[in-house]
Amino acid sequence: MSTYWPWWAGAVGLALVTINYTLTTDRSFGVSSAWDRVLHWRRERQLEQMDDEFTDDQALADALAAATAEHFGTAPGTPTMPPVSHGESQPLVPDVEPTAGENSSVTNTRPAPLVTQAALLVSIFLGGLIAATTSGRFRLRFDMGAGFRDLVTADPTAMIATLFVGGVLVGFGTRLAGGCSSGHGLSGCGRLRPVSIVATAVFFGTAVAVSFLLWKVI
Amino acid sequence: MRTRGAILLANIITGLALGYTVTNIGFGDYTELNRMFTFQDLRMFFSFAGAVGIIVCAFALLRVRRTPGRIHAGVVPGAVLFGTGWAISGGCPAIPIIQVASGYLPALVTIVGVIVGIRMCRWANARYFHLDRGSCGL
Repeated sequence: MSTYWPWWAGAVGLALVTINYTLTTDRSFGVSSAWDRVLHWRRERQLEQMDDEFTDDQALADALAAATAEHFGTAPGTPTMPPVSHGESQPLVPDVEPTAGENSSVTNTRPAPLVTQAALLVSIFLGGLIAATTSGRFRLRFDMGAGFRDLVTADPTAMIATLFVGGVLVGFGTRLAGGCSSGHGLSGCGRLRPVSIVATAVFFGTAVAVSFLLWKVI
Repeated sequence: MRTRGAILLANIITGLALGYTVTNIGFGDYTELNRMFTFQDLRMFFSFAGAVGIIVCAFALLRVRRTPGRIHAGVVPGAVLFGTGWAISGGCPAIPIIQVASGYLPALVTIVGVIVGIRMCRWANARYFHLDRGSCGL
């Protein structure tokens, strides 16, 4: 069994993943929101289809505006319609350059297509599988390791119950808070969003308190 | 404007890289996680904090746009529930996936729990909380 990566390698790896995703997709990435959308795929597909219709309408309006501009000699490149947002009203993009220190423009509020978020979850599994097999750590087992057995429970039934309750808390809590350790922790804190800094401080602080309870008290 | 294919490719690359990185850091190992949360071993904490530091610097240099976000009523209670769940099950939403990929079969139960919790959040919000944006998938 090989050892885990040193801290700096992990930091560079996580940072590269987040920065690359943000630059290539123009969106923040979050695993809990990917889960949420994939699990509510029927409703999310309806929203996507409605969004596509809007996009088509905008393309039509843009084409009409361009034809009008050509006919009447209006300067090309005149903005015609604001960008379509996903589910919320969005401020118009000013035509002037933003001042230094301001945001360069509004964020792309349309979520990534549903199929791409399903692909994200499947790819996380494959990436984990590659890491576990190449490092020699892969081993099929029916327990959660020595730490879980010593700190939480050694009883298989209690383990199943704990994992289920823990999973429900994770699923419910991340969606109630609007993000998880990737969405709030990496992307949100990276953008210095106050809501993400508060959420990360609270979930990390709570996890520290509960872990100390498991280690020292229970 | 990013094409659908480009976003799909970016998500696949991100998923593979995230799964590979998080597994090699050790986030799927409950013992390592508890040692981080109880400050017995700060290696994984520095990985996370170091990543945030690099991202802050990179986003500032690249002038990456900021997303709006207000601190709504669901943030603190949601984060408390998530922190508790993470500490007792060892899973944030990505972790049980890589735990199963590492061979920890009971993590499948954690995944079922996450699925139930996420669906409960939308249901409970529609019925009881009535929070607007930023919470429960809205």
